Amino acid sequence: MSISNALSNDIFLTYVVIVGVLLLLAGSILAVLAWRGIHIEPVWKTYRGWLIMAPLVLGVVLLGREAFIVGVAVVAIFGFKEFAKATGLYEDWWLTGLVYLGIVGLCAVSLVEDPRLGLPGWYGMFTALPAYVIPAILLVPILRNRAKGQLQGVALAIVGFIYFGWMFSHLGFLANADLAYGYLLYLLFAVEINDVAAFICGKIFGRHKLRQNISPNKTLEGAIGAVLVSLIVPFLLWFSFPHFEILHLLLAGLVVGVGGQLGDLVLSYIKRDIGIKDMGTVIQGHGGILDRVDSMIFVAPIFFHMIRWFHTIYYA
Amino acid sequence: MHEWQYHPAPDLDQTLVERLSDFPRQPQMLDYALRAVAHLLLFSWMRIYHRLRISGRENLPETGSFILVCNHTSHLDTLALLCAFPMQKIHRTFPAAAADYFFCSVPRSAVSAILINALPFDRKLKGAESLVVCRELLANPGNILIIFPEGTRTTTGEMGRFRSGVGRLAVDTNLPVIPCHLDGGLKAWPKGRFLPRPYRLQLSIGEPVDYGHPERSADSVRNICQDLERRVAELGRCIR
Repeated sequence: MSISNALSNDIFLTYVVIVGVLLLLAGSILAVLAWRGIHIEPVWKTYRGWLIMAPLVLGVVLLGREAFIVGVAVVAIFGFKEFAKATGLYEDWWLTGLVYLGIVGLCAVSLVEDPRLGLPGWYGMFTALPAYVIPAILLVPILRNRAKGQLQGVALAIVGFIYFGWMFSHLGFLANADLAYGYLLYLLFAVEINDVAAFICGKIFGRHKLRQNISPNKTLEGAIGAVLVSLIVPFLLWFSFPHFEILHLLLAGLVVGVGGQLGDLVLSYIKRDIGIKDMGTVIQGHGGILDRVDSMIFVAPIFFHMIRWFHTIYYA
Repeated sequence: MHEWQYHPAPDLDQTLVERLSDFPRQPQMLDYALRAVAHLLLFSWMRIYHRLRISGRENLPETGSFILVCNHTSHLDTLALLCAFPMQKIHRTFPAAAADYFFCSVPRSAVSAILINALPFDRKLKGAESLVVCRELLANPGNILIIFPEGTRTTTGEMGRFRSGVGRLAVDTNLPVIPCHLDGGLKAWPKGRFLPRPYRLQLSIGEPVDYGHPERSADSVRNICQDLERRVAELGRCIR
């Protein structure tokens, strides 16, 4: 991945056109709805957020492998920061500092070459890093000689590192793949389409609550509609991974359709347990960083290991 | 199993702009890390580019809160004063900065709040409220307030009259006040110039002045202001 590669890569350029056309189309529909007097102010806010985020994400992909891996690490760091601030863990600088260091470590091992195999990204250390970071987190109360309240802090730090750091960093490691443009752009695009499909299907067909104690606005119909849409998307974007067979396409759709919504629900119960509505206010119309990447956190590692299971990430 | 107790940060619902302009700010590890790095870079830049020399560093108290007052010739004044403090004190050193100038946009607010650790001081509408914030800040032992009593940068090189705010703070808090003088700021970075020039800077830190427990009156405030103005001017004359 590099700027020159991206500019001569058909997959990248096709996605740029698709995203541009969709944003234009969505903007036009919203303009017509607004002109007809329908109240769509919150959706406008979300749309304006997309107008900033889409070029930003495509820009980072354009810059290349290193920029993308670092970009994912930055999002993971600020995402974890939101989690730490929401839970109160941010007051414990030892634990939060260790998680930040762990995420930086994940970024570093994703960037360096595997010392034995000579391949980009040190996969062995990437998978082994939790075995070093978790004991380090568990050692903090011992070093401080403190027991009261430590379990909660340690547990939150481990969840923070594994879920918001390690699982999400699989997205960055995927930039080392031979078909990085296809995999990454499909993931980024399909996960967002899945979110939008769940929202629209829920609005139109929503009757039955999906999990009313966790997220009262989500409906069963919205979830089924999103899974169906997500199952179709890989077929429409087959050019992203031409070596995929039908089974792989179906699985790719299923991973995004089911995983995306589970990721959403995971963050929903975290927020509901804490008693907050959004994890932050960074992205206008979307909430915090975690509110935007919640689906991706769940989907990225499963999609990554699906590719590794059927192929390898290095050879298409 | 009992429910866990969560304590979300008070600024969780604030937008970035609100968080940056708010005071006191919530301590953030990333902010501290960025500020520490910025302090290192700032120190190197001031030593190499402006050949900053600091005299009287031993006059800075090791413990407790205090107020530091200085003449105001350029933006370099704050930066030079920050260089007088060791790394571990910069997170508790708060230069009072004009809210209408330093907190008027996101980039300026980010630099002022995160890198400089500035306290937004409203010069026009809420001056009294800003003084209350300063008093609360100084009530926490170990906090240091940097203030420019002239209120604005000089354009002529002549030191302006000290405003009453610093006198009121000294009367209300009974804390030591340290007069300082920076020489060379006007030549290096005069008002209206985009980037600083590589002129030499000389910072003199005077001895702490303890006004004891002065009477809370306009006369006391005026006397303290005049005394500080005289001391700062004297430090300037000693340099030349």
